[in-house]
Amino acid sequence: MISMLAAQSLSVMRSGQEVLKDVSFSIKQGEIHALLGGNGAGKSTTLLTFLGFLAPASGNVHVQGRDVSENVSAARQAIAYLPEAATLYGHLSAYENLHYFLSLAGTDTGRKALDDALDRVALQPEARNMRMETYSKGMRQKVAIALAILRDTPILLLDEPTSGLDPVAIDEFNRLARDLAEAGRTILLVTHDVYGACHVADRIDLLQNGVLVGAFDRPAGMDRIDTEAVHVAFAQHAGA
Amino acid sequence: MSGLVREIRFLASDRAALLWLGIALLVACVSVVLGLREIATQRVVLNELIEIDSAEREVLDTLYQDWGDVAYYTFHLTWDSPSDFAFAALGQRDTSPWKHQIRALALEGQIYETDAENPDFALIGRFDFAFAANLLAPLLLILLLHDLRSAERTAGRYELLSATAASQGSPWFARAALRVGALTICLIGPLWAGGLLGGAGASTLVPASLVVILHIAFWWGVCALVDRYGWSSPVNLTALVGVWLAFAVIVPAAIKISVESIVPLPDGGEILLTQREAVNDAWDLPKAATMEPFIERHPEWADYTEVSQPFEWKWYYAFQQVGDQTVEPLSQAYRDGRIRRDRLAGSLAWLSPPALAERAMQALADTNVAATLTYEQRVRAFHKALREYYYPRLFRGEPVSTVSLQQRPQFRGKES
Repeated sequence: MISMLAAQSLSVMRSGQEVLKDVSFSIKQGEIHALLGGNGAGKSTTLLTFLGFLAPASGNVHVQGRDVSENVSAARQAIAYLPEAATLYGHLSAYENLHYFLSLAGTDTGRKALDDALDRVALQPEARNMRMETYSKGMRQKVAIALAILRDTPILLLDEPTSGLDPVAIDEFNRLARDLAEAGRTILLVTHDVYGACHVADRIDLLQNGVLVGAFDRPAGMDRIDTEAVHVAFAQHAGA
Repeated sequence: MSGLVREIRFLASDRAALLWLGIALLVACVSVVLGLREIATQRVVLNELIEIDSAEREVLDTLYQDWGDVAYYTFHLTWDSPSDFAFAALGQRDTSPWKHQIRALALEGQIYETDAENPDFALIGRFDFAFAANLLAPLLLILLLHDLRSAERTAGRYELLSATAASQGSPWFARAALRVGALTICLIGPLWAGGLLGGAGASTLVPASLVVILHIAFWWGVCALVDRYGWSSPVNLTALVGVWLAFAVIVPAAIKISVESIVPLPDGGEILLTQREAVNDAWDLPKAATMEPFIERHPEWADYTEVSQPFEWKWYYAFQQVGDQTVEPLSQAYRDGRIRRDRLAGSLAWLSPPALAERAMQALADTNVAATLTYEQRVRAFHKALREYYYPRLFRGEPVSTVSLQQRPQFRGKES
């Protein structure tokens, strides 16, 4: 099976600093892959490289088997991207924001589909017509997740998707992510939430200072990755 | 939802953009209304003066039995009617006289007696449409465009927008184009409304609109260029206002200073003073000192130069003409200098798009230096006709008659 996302010996420079060093991984269709690491580990940089906003200093990244540097537009069309602390337009409502961004993506989506997506992220119906500047951080995050769901793309890149969500909403997000993966969508998420990553991901790559320092797969038949092992590795490398 | 409809809706919800566009519309409307009012006032003044001028002459023509008195006491109104597009760019009509009351005396002083300075390069004039479109509109465009991308970067939406729009092309061009288009409409709409009210034709309004569009397009290019550096909104704004200040104020001021130093010019007051000295001196000189240079210019009156009385009108008008002849080199230098300054300023204006657009509008409105000089030449031509009318009557000593007075030249306004 062809890899939906693949990084091969990827190194990336930002402001003269090598922020990713010889990183390699690949993700198959329907997998949820988590990049786990502390601040400045290079997680978001990896996502931006898959989107073509940053060019590899060496190595390469592939989306659906195609080198991103050769066709950035094709890569972006295959990806729904949820940035860290996604701030949609505060002067627009949830509906208006979704309409705007989906139109921008060339997706014609009716009100029912919007409501279905907003139901899935559990955004209260009475809030959907309110300006988003009145939303809490968690509500804004839910709308951003709904947008990622509504984009009819085979790949989702999610940067700290549970940031600002309460524990109940995090559980709902984890279930939603699993549903999307089972429906064949490939998810690469970056997070520093060890517990959440262990519960939702099929595989976790531990990233520290731009270097992959560990990998954890969900054992067959288990519903999550061993949280304790990941915690220990995370703490060990964070303290290194 | 098409991209255009999407961006129109988005623009309609952007309160800051709507505020700037509203200000642009207001500024354009006010400038057009003020321009129309000014031109209407000038027309009313001219119409009243033309009536008074005619009525006055009718009265004066019954009072005097001597051609010398008739020529001395009769004033003739000359005027430069505003064009139908003058409301949009008042230009030199602000600084150069567009009406005179002249007599058959020495002319040059009469033309320049209100010229305190040389209005050769209007930097910032009255609050007319040209000012609004060429000086203020670029600032409003800067306010509309300076943070188009940088604000999205600050808000963390830039990558999301760019990545989301991958299959639909850049959202930035559509956003910018819509704002530029809306601003242009806010400017051109009132211009056309004012133009149609004021009687200006499409032959003027279309090129004027083109000037506005090209000028706005230039500033759009400047905004796009600055935007490429990826600076923050405050840095973008500072840089763009700096560019505006340079192009709209500093460069035109430098051009003005350069033009004035490269092409020195006598001022109008100097012409007036020299001429008056020449005329006044003539009273104390022998009559021949006046009549000889006069006859050089008018040999046809050589047989009529004898002046036996201490005062004779033909001698008086001869030294008036000699006064004009005395300042002729100065007056010619003044005219030539203004033309040279105007040409040089026109060439250097390419360094300042706002000044270039201003000059283009003044040319369309017939309110530029060339139009002022053309009017002055029409006054000279009329004055020459007056002299040609009076001299035979003065030198031959013909009696004043109604029939003869009816043959006196009348100043005709240009076709607007």
